[in-house]
Amino acid sequence: MKKAIGVIGFMAVLAACSKDDKGTGFTTVETITVKDLAADTIIGITPGAPPTGGMPFGAGKYSFYSLEKNQMVASSDSASNKWDIAFRGTSIITNSGNRGPAAGGAFVFIGLFNDLKTIPKDSSFRVENAPTAFAIPSGSNRGWYIYDGLNNLINPIPGRVLVIRTATGKYAKVEILNYYKGGITPAASASDAVKTNSQRYYTFRYSYQSNGSTTF
Amino acid sequence: MLLRIGGFALGLLFSINLWSQHSDTLSGTGNEIVVTATKTERKISTVAVPVTIISQQRILQAGSLRLNDILQEQTGLFLTAAFGSGVQMQGLNPDYTLILIDGEPLIGRTGGVLDLKRITVGNIKQIEIVKGPSSSLYGSEAMAGVINIITDKPKANALKFSLRYGSFNTADLSLNGSIRKNNFTYQGFGNLYRTDGFSIRPNSSERAIAPIERFTQQHNISYRFSNKTQLSINFRFNNERIKNIISVNNNGTIIQSEGLEKNKDLNTTIQLSHRLSEKITNNTRIYATEFSADQELLTSNGTPYTDFFKQRFARAENQTDFTLNKKLSLTTGAGYIIETANSTRYDKSSNTKTNRIGYAFIHSEWKPSDAFTIVAGARYDDNELFAAAFSPKLAFQYKFNPKFSLKASIGRGFKAPDFRQLYLNFTNTAAGSYSVLGTVEAQKIISELNRIGQISSLENDYYRLSELKPEFSTGINIGLNYTPITALSITANIFSNKIENLIDSRLVAYRIGGAQIFSYLNVKNAFTRGVETDLKYTINKKWGFAVGYQFLITGDKDEINRIKNGQVFTRDGNGFSSKLKRSEYVGLANRSKHMANFRIQYEVEKYFANLRLIYRSKWAVSDKDGNGLFNTNDVFADGFMQANMATGKNFTNGIRLQAGCDNIFNYTDVLNLPNLPGRTFYFTFAYSILNTKTK
Repeated sequence: MKKAIGVIGFMAVLAACSKDDKGTGFTTVETITVKDLAADTIIGITPGAPPTGGMPFGAGKYSFYSLEKNQMVASSDSASNKWDIAFRGTSIITNSGNRGPAAGGAFVFIGLFNDLKTIPKDSSFRVENAPTAFAIPSGSNRGWYIYDGLNNLINPIPGRVLVIRTATGKYAKVEILNYYKGGITPAASASDAVKTNSQRYYTFRYSYQSNGSTTF
Repeated sequence: MLLRIGGFALGLLFSINLWSQHSDTLSGTGNEIVVTATKTERKISTVAVPVTIISQQRILQAGSLRLNDILQEQTGLFLTAAFGSGVQMQGLNPDYTLILIDGEPLIGRTGGVLDLKRITVGNIKQIEIVKGPSSSLYGSEAMAGVINIITDKPKANALKFSLRYGSFNTADLSLNGSIRKNNFTYQGFGNLYRTDGFSIRPNSSERAIAPIERFTQQHNISYRFSNKTQLSINFRFNNERIKNIISVNNNGTIIQSEGLEKNKDLNTTIQLSHRLSEKITNNTRIYATEFSADQELLTSNGTPYTDFFKQRFARAENQTDFTLNKKLSLTTGAGYIIETANSTRYDKSSNTKTNRIGYAFIHSEWKPSDAFTIVAGARYDDNELFAAAFSPKLAFQYKFNPKFSLKASIGRGFKAPDFRQLYLNFTNTAAGSYSVLGTVEAQKIISELNRIGQISSLENDYYRLSELKPEFSTGINIGLNYTPITALSITANIFSNKIENLIDSRLVAYRIGGAQIFSYLNVKNAFTRGVETDLKYTINKKWGFAVGYQFLITGDKDEINRIKNGQVFTRDGNGFSSKLKRSEYVGLANRSKHMANFRIQYEVEKYFANLRLIYRSKWAVSDKDGNGLFNTNDVFADGFMQANMATGKNFTNGIRLQAGCDNIFNYTDVLNLPNLPGRTFYFTFAYSILNTKTK
């Protein structure tokens, strides 16, 4: 099945400017919200009963994204510098290490999106070293999300900012807002079918600093 | 007469009558004997710790069948629904309340919960509930308190049966008999319980309460050698079979599974009591119990899944009570416990896991004056597998005047790490191959894996595994009792429990390839604080009522500190992260801030009726915003009120008829209260065939 790749990169240009002090560089970055980025959405369920069967699965393909251009990048360009981050299920990768040809990277900042005005000097960007280490740690409660096993829901952890070094060595900050279609997490009481079919649609907001500085 | 029968019929049909019972169980005279508070017989009015007694008559008139039925109507107790029916006391999880039958502990907990449905109330004389840490007498598990079920030992030649039938084809048959001849006494009890079970989830063939058959029997033989020496042998066996049909709709394909669960519970006690002198009594008890759970899940396509768990517990204890003089008495005791477990959840079910515990306790009771009682005691438990526990307790009671008294106690409770926390050996091959290992297993397995180069990294927590300690609580209870007139009694108890070293699972190592290994560590601290109040009023010979209320605050100090430091976040209306405010924090999940109960009863001659209301305010159920703790932004279950009623009559020819309706308002919550059916009805017929008083 085809993923709905034609993402509706939706620009909600929120007035976002980082304050600036006279003298030093004057920067203005906008905050962009992307809605319903399909990230390897579910196309079937493995036959059989749990625990071996009954698992929902997608096509297994990443959805590549350029933060600089605010648009999707075709899979055929996966071995290029055209993309900065890519999504597949709950995995978010950067264009770095053994996942991409560029010198990207990332780390998870704990705090508020708006409070991250300058990337701290002592920050250390991680690069992809799958499967043992990802730049953005995979798994529940390790990177950007927590899995609510009781209700079978994925919730982004509040206060997590993904600080990204892009393919071209610029910096961006990303906050994942939601993992479900329309940016609305299904109710705990919703059926598993609803939860399965509406998952893997990312809503996130980001700021991209095009001048190469670490200040937003 | 006609009128009364008319009223009875009306009560049955329209549930308009509300009432019940003998006034003595309503207000209590203070002369009831309680054993659980001190391990010796004491009048409840002289006990310095918070104690509640539930009488046989109240159990009967509430129409209860299983222990959870009657406990849910008590102030401050909430019945949880995961892993069977567990009891939350003073806001502590079911793991931390010790359940005793005739003073001996029940074993066989799943996920820390001892399923109270395993216990029939058909032969209970009274239930004694002691709140506050009681490890100074009872050792492990008595952190929140102790519930002791005292079985009935009638002093008569008697034979009676009781049959109850109700909704979901729930049937309960009890047979009680006792023989008393010279110095010999025998009591026998049998109970058969079965239900079709039910599901309130629409279109589901899987039942929240599965079809169950239970059979419980209990036999007690005692022989009095002399006025000084008595031997008693007790045997109890409970056997249950639970069947469940699970059908999973997998993209249109229905997969049927059939589950069968067999639980067995066997308890035997031999007790020799001997009065050495007027002042010294000695009690020797040998207790052995076994619990086994056998589960089998057959799937229409696939290999059967089996799970087996067996736990054994044997204990020898000697207790000596000294009455030194009118003012001072002393209780000392010591014992030895051997506990074993076998399970498919451990490395090999044939490998027996063993723990040995030696313990000693001493308690003294000093009455410097008639108005003043001071109790001081302590117990030391030495464990083979982990750190020892020392549990002191200090309590006093002061009677200002006959109407007004004050109780205060402070004590320490503990819960030893259980076999699961020591020996679990579980690897989930379906989801990422992560493993959860008990601490003993984890140290062994990880060091072996490390030796052969299969571990990629050891986390700091790995090095703390050898230090696993029991979980500890420190509890303070301060209570007031005010009885302005005989018909009215008001009690209030303020409690504060600080729980340390709570055990939780943590990541300790990564295998080569990234699979995670978790184990158990003492990592959390929590507190519960609150007030519980009870008011009982006997209006006149016919009418009486009782009101109970508990206010509860819970939390985790580390979580509060993280909030204060601005390290915890939630989401605002736009879905953007924001800092969590202290006022948004709600504490531990599954706790209601307000819980209340109300009971009104009416009784004329042999006829009774009652109406009981149980209220619980909303409680947090899941962490919607993903910040790892519970705050106002999360998912809550709605508060609710349950109303139950019963009415009945005792005829002079030994027949008792009773009918009742539970959950009159038909309140249901599919998601959060799957075990609460809608409105249910029952009818009871009981007949006392023989009842000859003997001397």
